[in-house]
Amino acid sequence: MNKTRGALIGIVLGLASWAAPSQAAVSNDGFTQSVIVQAHERLTPTVGILQYSSEITNQNTGEITKRDSSALALVVSAQGLVMAHGHMVLEDNQPFNIKITLGQGSDEKEYEAELLEKPEDVNIAFLQLKSDTPLNLPYVRFAPGRNLSIGEPVMLFGVFGETLDNVVGLWEGRIGAIIEKPRRTYCLDSAVRFGFVTGPVVNRQGEVAGVVGFDLTQAEGGDLYVRSGHPLVYQADLFTKYIENPPSKESLAQGDDAWLGVFTQPLTEDFQEYWKLDHSGGLIVSTVVPASPAATAGLQLGDIIIDFNGTPIKARQDRDVIGFTKLVRETGAGAATKVTVLRGTEKVEIPITLGVRPRSSADADEFEDKIFGMTVREITQDIRIRLNLTEDVQGVIVRRVTSGSTAEIAKIRPGVIILGMGDYPVRNLMEYQEAVEKIAAAKPAELTIFARVGTATGFFRLQPRWEP
Amino acid sequence: MSVYAMEKTPWRMPRMGIALAAILMTLSGCVTTGGSQSAVYRARDKVAPALVHIRPVKEVYSRGKKEEVSIIGSGFIISTDGYVVTNEHVAGESKFVRCVLSNKEEVDAEVVGVDPFTDIAVLKLAVDYTLPTVKLGVSGTLEAGEMVMALGSPHGLARSVSLGIISVTDRYLESHSDMVSPYNTWIQTDAAINPGNSGGPLCNLRGEVIGVNARVLRGAENVGFAIPIDVVKEVSKQLIASGHVARSNVGISLQEMLAKTDDIHAQGVVIADVDPLSPASETDIRPGDILVKLNGAPVNARFEEDLPSVHKQIADLPVGQPATLTVQRGEEQLEITVTTEMKGALKGDEAEFTEWGFTASELTPELVRRAQLPSRQGVFVSGTQVGGLAGSAGLGQGDIILKIDDTVVENLAQFQEHYRKAVESQKKLTLLTVKNRALTRYIIVKQGPAAPGQDS
Repeated sequence: MNKTRGALIGIVLGLASWAAPSQAAVSNDGFTQSVIVQAHERLTPTVGILQYSSEITNQNTGEITKRDSSALALVVSAQGLVMAHGHMVLEDNQPFNIKITLGQGSDEKEYEAELLEKPEDVNIAFLQLKSDTPLNLPYVRFAPGRNLSIGEPVMLFGVFGETLDNVVGLWEGRIGAIIEKPRRTYCLDSAVRFGFVTGPVVNRQGEVAGVVGFDLTQAEGGDLYVRSGHPLVYQADLFTKYIENPPSKESLAQGDDAWLGVFTQPLTEDFQEYWKLDHSGGLIVSTVVPASPAATAGLQLGDIIIDFNGTPIKARQDRDVIGFTKLVRETGAGAATKVTVLRGTEKVEIPITLGVRPRSSADADEFEDKIFGMTVREITQDIRIRLNLTEDVQGVIVRRVTSGSTAEIAKIRPGVIILGMGDYPVRNLMEYQEAVEKIAAAKPAELTIFARVGTATGFFRLQPRWEP
Repeated sequence: MSVYAMEKTPWRMPRMGIALAAILMTLSGCVTTGGSQSAVYRARDKVAPALVHIRPVKEVYSRGKKEEVSIIGSGFIISTDGYVVTNEHVAGESKFVRCVLSNKEEVDAEVVGVDPFTDIAVLKLAVDYTLPTVKLGVSGTLEAGEMVMALGSPHGLARSVSLGIISVTDRYLESHSDMVSPYNTWIQTDAAINPGNSGGPLCNLRGEVIGVNARVLRGAENVGFAIPIDVVKEVSKQLIASGHVARSNVGISLQEMLAKTDDIHAQGVVIADVDPLSPASETDIRPGDILVKLNGAPVNARFEEDLPSVHKQIADLPVGQPATLTVQRGEEQLEITVTTEMKGALKGDEAEFTEWGFTASELTPELVRRAQLPSRQGVFVSGTQVGGLAGSAGLGQGDIILKIDDTVVENLAQFQEHYRKAVESQKKLTLLTVKNRALTRYIIVKQGPAAPGQDS
């Protein structure tokens, strides 16, 4: 591959420590040279280089920076479906200008690629190569259902970047740990280079059992445990369904996720002892989201959930909370459920109709207001919780402010919540758009915006520059 | 040299680079004139004998522990029996203050009172003889361009004198976390002020103290700020009389009229916000109303520099008495009666909970507001120690403890009492109900058997 293409850039969320080459133990217990050579021959044409630019929005300031990145791209179907590391798709990271180079030497070819919807249950990004003619590419054939065992040696295939001309090479690893809960996760015993992430993982039989991954998804407890930077093996069973049926908005939206609207803590032994309960395990309701199904049904702080719609809840550890969240989500929005709680010493059965999980800020609608020079977005439930906004705060939140714009001069900053413009109340994105249209038609010399900054309200005076 | 960076810094960077350059040129012209030289000597001789180098030992709460920190500041003697004016950020939270007088004699001082809202503190020197004092001037009639001198201990270097002019007489500085100045504007000067100058006098060439040096603009050169002496006189008088400054609170935030309109005929001040849990929240006052009269007297703040005087008008209302606010709402003018309350503290008392390894402070109105609590009950966790019982149980900085076991936490003293009981009885498990932002959660603090050394 072409040297001028640049080195693999591996600075994605705390990967720095992982970028150092490991001292992988050299062992020969199982792999025969011929298996390795054959795998290398077979897999090399399936490994390509992904290059893309991304627009990164600073959470706090809304400031946008751009960055070029590159990574390994793995061809997983003859029609040009490609897998790459999942961190290219993050809430504040918008990839664009995506190109994938396949082949070596004179066969080298660059494709444009389209980013597909990212699944929630595995940290892999899926891309589709664009081509005017039907593609028939060499691709990786995975062997699903291959359980790996502790200490088992595996051969990792990936790209040696930097000075090594992006040559496809291999690295030997071993299954160093297996996490059983909330789902089976294989950890590699040592660090790997960034160019190996999403690279094929081959077992002693020469079968491709999975790919190198990093970071746990929420389904694996990724929110609770900091396991970033530890290389994992994503076994093929986790993603083969997406190869057969490439992820799209439609295919991933299998009905709305159900929502209860509580935050819970596991009933540890200490809590059990403190409250002198005979019952072991459960989830303590620590926060009830206002106006949620739980609130409507009358769940109270301190209630201990011991049964959810027939499934006993025996949570004792933090990670057990994830299982409960999953259980609720999969029960189905609109489902009539029965939740049994311990309230004091009493067992209370509460019928709760599950709601639809509210949209997160990642899916929030935005509106780019070119007249005053700011981008605003709807206040989603997660923002409400993050910023401690009660339901009576209805407005839109400023995401970005254009440099030199009327809004910037008036000192409006990202994070400001707009509640009204002139005489028009702004309770949502649509009202904001309507207000802007009406104001633009009237062209006032000055405009007062009523807003909330932090926990206090106040006014901003805008002096719009109307074109004659 | 033990030097503590004690200057407070305005968070907003005024854009004034060009103006400042011009002022510096003017200054270099002034200094070379012969008449000024003798005036500088005379002024120095009037102020320097009453200059005090102050070394308080502050009690600071950091990472869940109470620690003592020795700092350096400046001050000046205002009475022959030893009252000294300095900054609150110099002498506040100090149990022990040692002063060095101009004759290099070391004298202990007692903190008479502090006022964080104006950053003023008064000390009393432990002496039984007559001391030299400064003459306090008048700040209300100052003019930009007037020559001034700053005296104090920049970077701990006692007895330093610097010279400059008043750059602006009424600079408005916005509040930023615990750096507030709601009741005064500031004298801006280009006389060199550095960490350690805090609390020291800014005087005119007649040797009258016209301000107390307190802040600098970080990253700028010679943009320093002093508290006008008229404010200092009033505050120090109250501190000497009662140890604190009594102010009224109504619970409204104000903005200058310019925030809504640049109509020069617009009178009044914009009500920007109504504080929940305040007297105003119990009335019909709304954000957007224009306050035009206070007990019949007109109020007016077209520019932000005009806001502190309106804040002060409100603060000066008698505490606990009804006041009439006349507000303009559209075409309508309304008279609204509000019963004022005592203005809450800016900084809450703090305490260390040694056995559990954390510190907590009293909830201030600002903390209550930030956490959006439905009442003023609870205590604020200001820090937890690594490996401490509280920290290990999951308590963290920023949590607000609402309940201990089944008891609602009303204030710091009551919480301390319950805590003390739990510790002394070696209660195995204690339940805390805490809130952080929108989420509440339960924490169990588990006390083991008595620590080694305690059980003998």
